[in-house]
Amino acid sequence: MALWMPQDPMLQMVFMFGIGAIIFSLLLLILVFLLRVRVLIRQRRQRFYEAQWQPLLAECVFAVPAQLPQVSRNMRYHFLRVWNFHHESLVGASRANLKALARAMHLEEIARELMYTGNLRERMIAVMTLGHLGDRTQWHELRALVSDPSPVLSLLAARALLDIDASSILAWLVTVMAARDDWPMSRVVTMLKEVGPEVATQPLISAVEATASSKGAEAQVARLLRMMEVVHTERVLPVAGKIVRQVKSPELIAAALRLVQDPRDLDIVRAYAAHEAWFVRVSAIRVLGRIGDVSDRRLLTGMLSDPQWWVRYRAARALLALPGTRIEDLEKISGTLEDRFAADILGQAIAEARSS
Amino acid sequence: MTVNDWVEGAQWFFMLYFIGINTGYLMLNLLSLGSLKRYVEAHSLDDIPSRLSGFELPVSVLVPAYNEQVTIASSVRSILQLDYPEFEVIVINDGSRDGTMEALRREFGLEPFPEAYWQRLSVKPVRAIYRSKMHPTLRVIDKENGGKADALNAGINASRYPLFCSVDADSVLERVSMRRVVQPFLENPHTIASGGSIRIANGCTFDSGFLTSKGLPRNPLALFQVVEYMRAFLFGRLGWSPLNAVLIISGAFGVFRKEVVVKAGGYRTDTVGEDMELVVRLHRLHRTGNIPYRIVFVPDPVCWTEAPQKLLVLKNQRMRWQRGLIESLTLNIGLLFHRRGGTAGWLAFPFMVLFEWLGPLVEVAGYCFMITAFFTGLVSLEAFVTFMLVAFGLGLVLSINSLLLEEISFHIYQKPHQIVVLLLVVVLENFGYRQLNSVWRFWALLLWMFHFKLHWGEMPRSASWQTGPGGPHKGVGQ
Repeated sequence: MALWMPQDPMLQMVFMFGIGAIIFSLLLLILVFLLRVRVLIRQRRQRFYEAQWQPLLAECVFAVPAQLPQVSRNMRYHFLRVWNFHHESLVGASRANLKALARAMHLEEIARELMYTGNLRERMIAVMTLGHLGDRTQWHELRALVSDPSPVLSLLAARALLDIDASSILAWLVTVMAARDDWPMSRVVTMLKEVGPEVATQPLISAVEATASSKGAEAQVARLLRMMEVVHTERVLPVAGKIVRQVKSPELIAAALRLVQDPRDLDIVRAYAAHEAWFVRVSAIRVLGRIGDVSDRRLLTGMLSDPQWWVRYRAARALLALPGTRIEDLEKISGTLEDRFAADILGQAIAEARSS
Repeated sequence: MTVNDWVEGAQWFFMLYFIGINTGYLMLNLLSLGSLKRYVEAHSLDDIPSRLSGFELPVSVLVPAYNEQVTIASSVRSILQLDYPEFEVIVINDGSRDGTMEALRREFGLEPFPEAYWQRLSVKPVRAIYRSKMHPTLRVIDKENGGKADALNAGINASRYPLFCSVDADSVLERVSMRRVVQPFLENPHTIASGGSIRIANGCTFDSGFLTSKGLPRNPLALFQVVEYMRAFLFGRLGWSPLNAVLIISGAFGVFRKEVVVKAGGYRTDTVGEDMELVVRLHRLHRTGNIPYRIVFVPDPVCWTEAPQKLLVLKNQRMRWQRGLIESLTLNIGLLFHRRGGTAGWLAFPFMVLFEWLGPLVEVAGYCFMITAFFTGLVSLEAFVTFMLVAFGLGLVLSINSLLLEEISFHIYQKPHQIVVLLLVVVLENFGYRQLNSVWRFWALLLWMFHFKLHWGEMPRSASWQTGPGGPHKGVGQ
């Protein structure tokens, strides 16, 4: 190497930099190779243990297995993964057997330890396990985790709390669900569906009533209204009409309209069919399609000429959905329409209805 | 200044440029390493079953097709089987001169549908719209030829859902690809675009349009591209994602918020890099308009594409990409160092200009200069060896780093002999392949500078993955 060392000090520096890069590359090569060896060893060990665990966990479909799976310290994470996978896949008595097996193995202790000492993925599986086991001892810690900046971990903590005792936490949790816009609505809604409308409706109604008229809380109210769509029960009906009249921003009006199911609210719905925001008109028309009557035919026919494609399309679909409306009636209407856009959209809706 | 001073100055310029470009990429690598680790941890429980909420955003999948009679039916069939709760498929036959339309009619029982076509974006005339009798979520737009961008705009016009996904007719998707790429839209309402990792299909085995086993190609050119794609996606794009400065989302598979794209004017039809141009334009409009947004890259391998195995085809592809990159940057030059440009305008854009746009010019000039100067005695042996050592050493670090990222994340190629082959390829690609790419890109840069129109030629596909249901397992282009 000394033979090739340049005389110029600057060149020497760059030369050494190049040599450093080559040595670093070789080290990286070795690292990649070692990582692969580690992966292979880990996969082999996982396969070995899983082959022993799977039959025992499968037994839980019928009864709690007499023999407990052996879990070494460095396989704890993997066992919790497999156990949770089974828990999410099974229902009813099988789930209860799985829980009994977990208690016999003191899985809650493992989960508690991982929740404090583990890395993110270990903490995630620990929180999930504690929820599935209904472990109340970590209630306050889980509640604190709901405020964790990581959306993944905080959502898992929220779900664990709901698994443990939904009715006592939901009133507080819905306000968090409304405030945390980093929680995907699809996940929030899945949790509420799992809890069920009986438990979820009242806390949601209370939260909406408390925030609907607050200034600067539009985003929260909008999220709460979307949640209410999922847990819709008879109890929501009077509230929906009240909210539609109460809220002012077009986004909230559109969201509140989606909840309206009561024909007594039709007057306000018809009024909103003339709203300047096109998405409010779309929401109002969809309600008319759902609970409107024959008297709405004229209004809807007029809206076939709306400048917005979606308003025209929803009006055509709503016309088809009105009680006592036959396709032939709409074909007659179509023949009388002077506006080409209105005739086209009605033609499309009729074709869709015929082919479905 | 004497000639020697000039030569020494040039020698140092090229040497420092090579150090600069590779250090830049290494920084990007470090960023990718962090975000990849976080991503893999955060998604470690994704395979545990969970219920669907019904709140997943519905997606319109747009498949532009031009002369795809061999591949189109299988492609559409595989897209129809995606594991996603609500989506529609819109195939846009862009005036194909072969039997693409007949293949679609035959395979999916198309019938003309009186759709009130909403022309929000200006496109070439639409001849007819068809709907499938067998798959109500499948529609076909038959239009006059206007190019891929025009076809995509026609698809956007006909789409019903808030998100649209552009998919190349010759790509193979993973079943869960849509779920993965839509996730950023659910996590952050400001997300306007999201792209996934594209990988090389050559050497893999497919059945009924779905990947059944992952393998490496035997063709050396395709093998080099396996490593190249790893590098391009795992750190070329992932590194920029946490900075909200991803400037490229591959046209082969990307999801966009429709209203945002329509507002931006849709795809431009006057560039060969319509996919990149759209993304750079979205950055420019949002940054300069002070509108909050996110453009995200998802590192999961979601889409498999067939790599060219012939030198001429590869050359055409790379020249087209370079031309697309240059056009995308020049058309949106307003983003460069704009006072509200943020990381996109002050980091990613200058990086692209310096290293991707002008990079090939300096690289080729650097190699030519050093070799010529050495053989004419203008540059000493020490300087020449030092230059080559730095150029190859740093190139090697980057190549192996991409393999390291792959190893700590997805382990796509699981067999021990595959890692040995890949280790060999990452070393070998630095001795000719990367330089050849620089020459092609340099040539594309010259042609662009002198306003030469390029004739790209067709991209021949073996399409051997296109087996029917229950058909034999086949590999691609081995």
